[in-house]
Amino acid sequence: MQKVIERILNLLAYLLTVERPVTADQIRNTVAGYDRDNDSAFHRTFERDKDLLRRLGIPIEREATDVFEVEFGYVVHDDQYGLQDPGLTDEERTALSLAVQAVGFGGRPSGQEALMKLGGIVGSLEGTQLGADLGERADTVAEAFGAVSERRMLTFTYRGRSRRIRPYGLVHRRGHWYLVGSGTGADEVRVYRLDRATDLEIGDRAGAFIPPDNLNPADEVLHHPWDAGDRTETATVVFDEEVAWIAERELGSRATITRHNDGSIEAEIDVAAPAAFLGWLVGFEDKAELTSPRELRRRFVSYVEAG
Amino acid sequence: MTNSPKTAGRINRLLAMLPWVIGNPASSVSEVCERFGYTRSELIRDLNTVFVCGLPGYGPGDLMDASIDDDEIVVEMADYFSRPLRLTAPEALGILASGKAVQSAGSGGEALDRAIAKLERMLLPEGTDAVVVDLPEPELVGELRAAAIEGRVIQIDHTSVASGERKIRDIEPWAVYTTLGNWYVSAYCRSANAERVFRIDRIRNAMPTGDRFTPDPTPHEAAIRYTPGDDDVHVTIRLLGEARWVAEYYPVDVINDGPDAMTIRMSVGDAAVAARLMIRLGETAEIVDGSEAATATADLRSRILERYS
Repeated sequence: MQKVIERILNLLAYLLTVERPVTADQIRNTVAGYDRDNDSAFHRTFERDKDLLRRLGIPIEREATDVFEVEFGYVVHDDQYGLQDPGLTDEERTALSLAVQAVGFGGRPSGQEALMKLGGIVGSLEGTQLGADLGERADTVAEAFGAVSERRMLTFTYRGRSRRIRPYGLVHRRGHWYLVGSGTGADEVRVYRLDRATDLEIGDRAGAFIPPDNLNPADEVLHHPWDAGDRTETATVVFDEEVAWIAERELGSRATITRHNDGSIEAEIDVAAPAAFLGWLVGFEDKAELTSPRELRRRFVSYVEAG
Repeated sequence: MTNSPKTAGRINRLLAMLPWVIGNPASSVSEVCERFGYTRSELIRDLNTVFVCGLPGYGPGDLMDASIDDDEIVVEMADYFSRPLRLTAPEALGILASGKAVQSAGSGGEALDRAIAKLERMLLPEGTDAVVVDLPEPELVGELRAAAIEGRVIQIDHTSVASGERKIRDIEPWAVYTTLGNWYVSAYCRSANAERVFRIDRIRNAMPTGDRFTPDPTPHEAAIRYTPGDDDVHVTIRLLGEARWVAEYYPVDVINDGPDAMTIRMSVGDAAVAARLMIRLGETAEIVDGSEAATATADLRSRILERYS
């Protein structure tokens, strides 16, 4: 491993100082540590090293060495290599270290490599446990994040169809990551659940779009499944004492609550998607009663009767 | 063959440590060790590596200079490594989302707020709030977390999500965590004499009993897994059309997947779970096999309809 590390440091030092695309052959004959006699051994080693550096975030580009484009070489552009220093203080690094300890993705801690690049970990990382998990599919979410942060087009498969969208933002809510964006033709903003997206591909061009004015991605993602729909009506539901506290917690501040003396509550809830709402209501079994509107009550009864 | 993750980890740390020691001349060995998670001998090994690397020519004027002088680290002739590497997308997401999760749960502070603002300026385009983590912390989380650290036994009034059964239990909280949108406390339940996991939003209230226990210093795995039990209820369901989401949402075995219908088999901890699911699915699903679930479904249906009669 020692020789590998020395060779890779030499390669990177060369690429960072040469300031022009250099061919594989130039690298082979210039940088210490490469095999100058065996062709295939050199290429295997060089491919591995390039791959490793790219995984670490070093943007090694392949570009023509001259205007005639007959020969191609490798270059690291200075402006794409370095971190734009956010200027963290050690107090802020400590706060981030604690956050990184508390939060994981799919059971694994996340963000420690970033902390190193930002000036190291301040405070102990031992003996703590993950307090929050932001879900599986960290790789998919990271790809979408890359597209959002550099405003690149994003292509993916969703519900069996290929989509090409302008990704505006990412929202983690109710245990899922959602991508907020719009199609290339339409201005309508849509929401996609990222754990259902596959085959993500990020566009080549950074700054490929400008998000609509006043767009707030957090507002686009529903708080309750019954929030989506065209026409909103207000449903009144009585929850018995033993489940009233559960209903109140699930509804949050988004319902008007009236308390009764027996401990039950009456909640006025805005409903845009009745089917989703009635499904939620089933969870309260016979300890809740939808009292109005009458039409929605009738619909609930026939829904329960069915099947 | 690829270079090992260990090699990548070492280079990543080296390329993070070098800019720091170049930017902070006369850093002490112990400070750099702590900041970058080095042992003293690992740091010396990496500095020795730096010492034999550099630019083509590889003579004394081309190699980097790295040494320890009176416990202070000296790195020279390495200006090209003076800037930290930019973050990869997974790294950037990991640190930003972690910070935002803690902020959203209300357990951050002003330093975290400032750090997040700086990261956002660095990582995101200006204008929109492009990454949002919504992770509100239920009120009992703080109390249960403190009890887990301090070793206080807590009496909880808990209603099971699956069965709807309400019980008063004395628990020794081990860890508090959130996953897939819900908050949980894992604990030793004195009432059941066994390890249990409780959803915190189903704990109506909690108070210390006055008893103490000795917290286990080793971290407990924070994960929710479905563990099959002897009392599980098995049910085979035929799903029509739009009810197919069930197969994506729950852990199920797909027995048959045809153009019109899909047949699945699932195991649940309580028949009530299957009953509520069947009522929700209405005409789009039917029980093919599983008498306990069928009875529970019929019972739930008649109880709800009675209330509405």
